[in-house]
Amino acid sequence: MSKKVFTDATKMSGGRGDADAIVVMEGVVKRFKDFEALKKIDFKVGTQEVVVIIGPSGSGKSTLIRCINRLEEHDGGRIIVDGTELTMDIRNIQEIRRETGMVFQNFNLFPHLTVLTNVAMGPRQVRNMPKAQAEALALELLTRVKIPEQADKFPSQLSGGQQQRVAIARALAMKPKVMLFDEPTSALDPEMINEVLDAIKELAAEGMTLVVVTHEMGFAREVADRVVFMADGEIVEVGTPAELFDNPQEERTKKFLSQIL
Amino acid sequence: MKLWIRRNLFRTWWDGVLTVVFGALAAWVIWSLAEFVFVTGRWSIIEVNLKLLLVGQFPEESLWLIDGSVIAIAFWLAAALGGKPQAAEDRQSWGARLGDTLQRFGLLVALGVLLIVLAGTEASLGIAAGLVGAIVVGRAVNAARNRWAPIQRIPAIIWHLALLIAPVALISLTLMQSDVQLWGGFLINFYIAIISIVLCFPLGVLLALGRKSTLPIVRLISTTYIELIRGAPLFVLLLLAGVALEFFIPSEVAPGSVFRAVTVFTLFTAAYLAEIVRGGLQSIPKGQIEAGKALGLSTVKITFLITLPQALRNVIPAQIGQFISLFKDTTLAGAALSIVEVLKVSEAITKQDDFLGQGYIYEALAFVSLLFWVGSYVMSRESQRLEKRLGVGQR
Repeated sequence: MSKKVFTDATKMSGGRGDADAIVVMEGVVKRFKDFEALKKIDFKVGTQEVVVIIGPSGSGKSTLIRCINRLEEHDGGRIIVDGTELTMDIRNIQEIRRETGMVFQNFNLFPHLTVLTNVAMGPRQVRNMPKAQAEALALELLTRVKIPEQADKFPSQLSGGQQQRVAIARALAMKPKVMLFDEPTSALDPEMINEVLDAIKELAAEGMTLVVVTHEMGFAREVADRVVFMADGEIVEVGTPAELFDNPQEERTKKFLSQIL
Repeated sequence: MKLWIRRNLFRTWWDGVLTVVFGALAAWVIWSLAEFVFVTGRWSIIEVNLKLLLVGQFPEESLWLIDGSVIAIAFWLAAALGGKPQAAEDRQSWGARLGDTLQRFGLLVALGVLLIVLAGTEASLGIAAGLVGAIVVGRAVNAARNRWAPIQRIPAIIWHLALLIAPVALISLTLMQSDVQLWGGFLINFYIAIISIVLCFPLGVLLALGRKSTLPIVRLISTTYIELIRGAPLFVLLLLAGVALEFFIPSEVAPGSVFRAVTVFTLFTAAYLAEIVRGGLQSIPKGQIEAGKALGLSTVKITFLITLPQALRNVIPAQIGQFISLFKDTTLAGAALSIVEVLKVSEAITKQDDFLGQGYIYEALAFVSLLFWVGSYVMSRESQRLEKRLGVGQR
């Protein structure tokens, strides 16, 4: 355990008050058998804030965002998303999943459905939108991520970068209040990373609330309002990109940054 | 050509030996078969008993109902599946399409021709003409639907129900005209197999889902059922269905033997199907379920929209294999339940006065094998086509 947390992860950028918080984590603990993946995490995300989480592998970054939409069940503490607390109640869980979109490292598109059907799936099946309307919305979102011409293809016929953009469109189709990105470019060939990062940057520019786990430091520096550094299941240090990258205070942060930069 | 022979058959002296030995073996097998089929085989027993072998004691005056049903089913298949407009990129020449069609249906056509020759009646020619006509008209009907806007506006459900009117009407008429218990020959094998396949599929899927359920009771029941049924020989189950039922139900109200056979085949195959489908479900990556959850889909929707469709697609070969095995196992129903199916008939006809004690069983069994082989082979071919069309292994 380090002596103190340098910056409080519950202080949102721009000096916003708690009324603005859309994701609140209080003392969140997650264990996998004997291994403590998250050790009493306190963390807040404000509306329209872009938070980038960095850290070595196994530090709990992915576990943290997967707890937000209950892909992992936390063992202690509280998680509140848009005023709804995550409990065992399936209605609360569904409510929160409707309000959060997630983009995975391995895209996880539905391979047996066309790109258009993939994107229309959420609105149609969860929001009960009529088919024609859902498909129109899907096409609009595919246009937004710049691949409307791929609508009738199957995911396997697309490049990795295109698949990940479809995955972004699919998450957006639910009109979520928060978008969670779990290492969205880690499975991509280098030449495709930028097209995906550009799509995420556009979301940030449009004012979408984003929580991004990534190893792309250039992207973090450019887009993040706040950068969170995690190690060993703890939030070690939090700051603006300038503070964290140019003037890290903690030893572990310094060591990590010196290894990757 | 010379080079190809050298490369593939006689590359080393050992290859040469193998080629000569197996070549000789193959030649001998083909020669013996050809001799049996064309020279020594006494096919009169099949000619005389063709009707018995195919439909058993089915009343002569109602035979037209079966002919009509077969023609109506051919029309329905053609109208529901055939004559689709092809995408520009895989449009083929007429020659290539003819080749494809021959590959798919050549065997069935050959069997048809053989049956006509064996029957040697004008009526059988009429049936053949009816079949060809039904298929041509069916394809034309489907082509029209794909091209003409007014027909396209008819909702799909109504369209398909309309197409089903003729076959369903004829089949129900057939069932009403004659008691299924009186059916026999290959017809009853076919009937038992089709009904059992249709019934065991949903049951198998439900059992597979049950075995993966989070509810302990459901899981326990499904697992027990699957393991019990899979642990019993099919023949024993059929015998039990024939005998043991009388312990519980008075024989006057007990269901007929065909009903019992269908029940056993359904319950038996469902247990195997359940394990196949479960294997398919387990092959779906966890990320698929997580993606569904992240969208907010309910568990039921994740199963029926995401995991199950992919799982069923991945296990098509194994499923069809199970159906083929069910189709062939219907021959057990004769010995176990005294149903007059084709194998039973083939044994019985060798005991007719004209054929008794002259070893006609070879010819009879060869004919039965041919019927099942053609049926199984067509099923297997169509399953490969289905796999390709659904892009298994590609997406």
